[in-house]
Amino acid sequence: MSDNLTKVFNWINHRLPVQNTFERHLSKHPVPKKVNFWYLFGALAAVVLVIQIVSGIWLIMLYSPGEGAFASIEYMMRDVDYGWLIRYMHTTGASMFFAVVYLHMFRGLLYGSYQKPRELVWIFGCTIYLAMMAEGFLGYVLPYGQMSYWGAQVIISLFGALPYIGESLELWMRGDYYISGITINRFFALHVVALPLVLIALVFLHLVALHEVGAGNPEGIDIEAHTDEDGVPLDSVPFFPYKVLNALVGIGVFLTVFTIIMFFFPEGGGYFIEYANYEEANPLVTPDHIAPVWYYSPYYSMLRAVPDKLGGFAVMGAAVAIFFVVPWLDKSKVASIRYKGVLSKIALVLFGISFLTLGYLGTVSVTEHRKTMSIICTFIYFGYFLLMPIYTSIEKTKPVPDRL
Amino acid sequence: MGAPVIVDVSKLEPGQQIQVGWRKQPIFVIRHTKEAINNIESSLSKLADPKSESIDEPYRDINLTRSKSSEFTILVGVCTHLGCSPKFFPEVEPKSWDASWTGGYFCPCHGSMFDLVGRVFKGVPAPTNMKVPPHNFKGNILTIGEDEEMS
Amino acid sequence: MTIDFKPLCYSLVKYSSTLFLYFFISIFINKTYAAEGGPCKDYGECEEFKHSLTDMPSLQSGASTFITYCYGCHSLQYSRWNRVSSDLEIPEEIFFNSLVFDPSIKPGDLMVGSMSKQDSAEWFGVAPPDLTLVTRLHGSDWVYTYLKTFYEDSSKQYGVNNLVYPGVAMPNVLAALQGNQQLVCKNVPVIASNGGEKRDDLGKTITEEKCGYLSVKEGTGTLNEQEFDKLIYDLTNFLTYVGDPDKIERERLGWYVVFFFIIFTALSSLLYREYQKDYH
Repeated sequence: MSDNLTKVFNWINHRLPVQNTFERHLSKHPVPKKVNFWYLFGALAAVVLVIQIVSGIWLIMLYSPGEGAFASIEYMMRDVDYGWLIRYMHTTGASMFFAVVYLHMFRGLLYGSYQKPRELVWIFGCTIYLAMMAEGFLGYVLPYGQMSYWGAQVIISLFGALPYIGESLELWMRGDYYISGITINRFFALHVVALPLVLIALVFLHLVALHEVGAGNPEGIDIEAHTDEDGVPLDSVPFFPYKVLNALVGIGVFLTVFTIIMFFFPEGGGYFIEYANYEEANPLVTPDHIAPVWYYSPYYSMLRAVPDKLGGFAVMGAAVAIFFVVPWLDKSKVASIRYKGVLSKIALVLFGISFLTLGYLGTVSVTEHRKTMSIICTFIYFGYFLLMPIYTSIEKTKPVPDRL
Repeated sequence: MGAPVIVDVSKLEPGQQIQVGWRKQPIFVIRHTKEAINNIESSLSKLADPKSESIDEPYRDINLTRSKSSEFTILVGVCTHLGCSPKFFPEVEPKSWDASWTGGYFCPCHGSMFDLVGRVFKGVPAPTNMKVPPHNFKGNILTIGEDEEMS
Repeated sequence: MTIDFKPLCYSLVKYSSTLFLYFFISIFINKTYAAEGGPCKDYGECEEFKHSLTDMPSLQSGASTFITYCYGCHSLQYSRWNRVSSDLEIPEEIFFNSLVFDPSIKPGDLMVGSMSKQDSAEWFGVAPPDLTLVTRLHGSDWVYTYLKTFYEDSSKQYGVNNLVYPGVAMPNVLAALQGNQQLVCKNVPVIASNGGEKRDDLGKTITEEKCGYLSVKEGTGTLNEQEFDKLIYDLTNFLTYVGDPDKIERERLGWYVVFFFIIFTALSSLLYREYQKDYH
């Protein structure tokens, strides 16, 4: 019996590199033996991606796009058995996806994960982030509540700020003179087919590129420099079972937090599901207090800080685009913050504070003080990146050890 | 789709604003108080384009109200920044967004400010004044969306 | 020549961080001007509402109040009659015979209201909103406070205004129960800058006249203050249930799921530790 099984397995293996791929990318893939919790968020992002795809497939079965979208959400929340479970899983997943990805990106900045030879890994990652922002926005519009409508109105109008093509681009995106059922239909198509395909392709590239160069570590040491006779780095352990078990602990903690939110605080105090979205879209009335969901709010603050239509759009775009060039802005000889100088540390702390402050400011109403503050924070945000070539090259770095 | 909307403006109190829908857009109809009309020209220094020179103004130089009537202002209630609908705050009192507020419109989305006849302030994200839709008065009957009297 | 960056950097950091800190603190201070008020507008902070979604008599009484006083104008269009009757443990026969008088209504129908939107928009100037999600939109605190803060105001179309929703286009349908509520002025202690009551040299409390307090004219309502509060409590409790009918079930299930993941984490962490010994 087992002989026959082996035969079948060999037959397949001669035609498809199953065993080879499995060993190379999973079971025997070498990973640094000493990493900290910051290195878990990549795995967690993969877990949320699966949660979003699975819950999303179920949601498509229950949701109907078009003008009746709002009623179809309430239908699934009330009349479908465990419909609320599926929907809250997806809404919580959206917020958790961004939370995990923000922490994952911060890890990159903290330990120089973008440095040579991982520039492409970083760029694919930034593209994933960009695709996620689009995916999140499209998904947010689908329930067709007040925040969906006015959020879409603002974002689509942003493209209207572009010179020459602006107005026709707006019309083309909406498919109508105003946001209507037609807009919802096309957003639905993009949200459930087009962008998920793009996202999955990008995640695949992100991982292929990562496995080519190997995972980094918090010391910023190149573990490939010391290998045994088989070419396996001495400071590495095989992915299975060591890394898997490590990730499993992280996934356990993460899913505990996830389910606490999902079952007990699905609205997240109005940050994960905004209260104003419990009212159906009304093109004639803008809600008193309008704010995007928390994961866009830093950029929203920047938009508000700039007293110019095109300028605001440009600053917002630049704030996201600037991540792409970080590998070439960092001139430091060392990767990890542990061995960088005091200037890098100050810069990173200031950047972190200004990002969080911008995030907070984006969720509250504008006052004169807050506007000044968001301008200052926008400068710090850009200063972190634009001054990076200077402060990383003049500061004194500490020597990096040889082995992990 | 573009059918004109007819409003009887005699019900409006001075200082009151009503909102009607035309082409799926909010239209503001404001009946100004006497003081407000007198004050229209007093805050010119705050405005970016007091004469509406950068937009296609339909009823230029007829009334201070920018409309065909000296007492009413009719506006497309859409912020020229990113399309939110600004809120009406007619009171002359300090506001959290402007300590020397003299009445007008404030947009909750990105903090753009307009005066009582929809003219944009300096230093806000909105680039131009709020639009005035084509309209026409026949006594107390206001028709929005139609310029000339159809008979 | 080498430039010593250190003193320059330190002073730069010192000054910029002071400036930053100043602004950082100032953003949390929102100078509120009188006209804007709190989340409950002219009332200021809303009154706190603690729901009790397992208290069936309260929910039943709230449902009955809603159907009697509110359902004439307001719908609960995403909720179904039989779902309400079964969740609130009201036998269907009793529910449909004594609360839902309309024989054309089938148990599985949505509670779409008994008034056409067009008629009501003509009568009230604006169509009365659907209330299925009102507690999720504004919060139960808001609804609870709103229902208690109608007051007489002859300048308004229906002779009443509301502190939480100034200029509301809704008559106070519960006035016969509550009585005529008015805004009155009364003498209140002056609060000193240290937060205590201000006293004169003889130790007597200094008072001043302040206005805007709600007061019900005695004997004008059929319910006393406590009875009316209880009625509003039950009504808000019912609306809280309608806004989120699966809350109890969701939280019950949640305990099991969260417990499962805690155990899962503990076991995987024990296993991980065991394997970690291989390479430490």
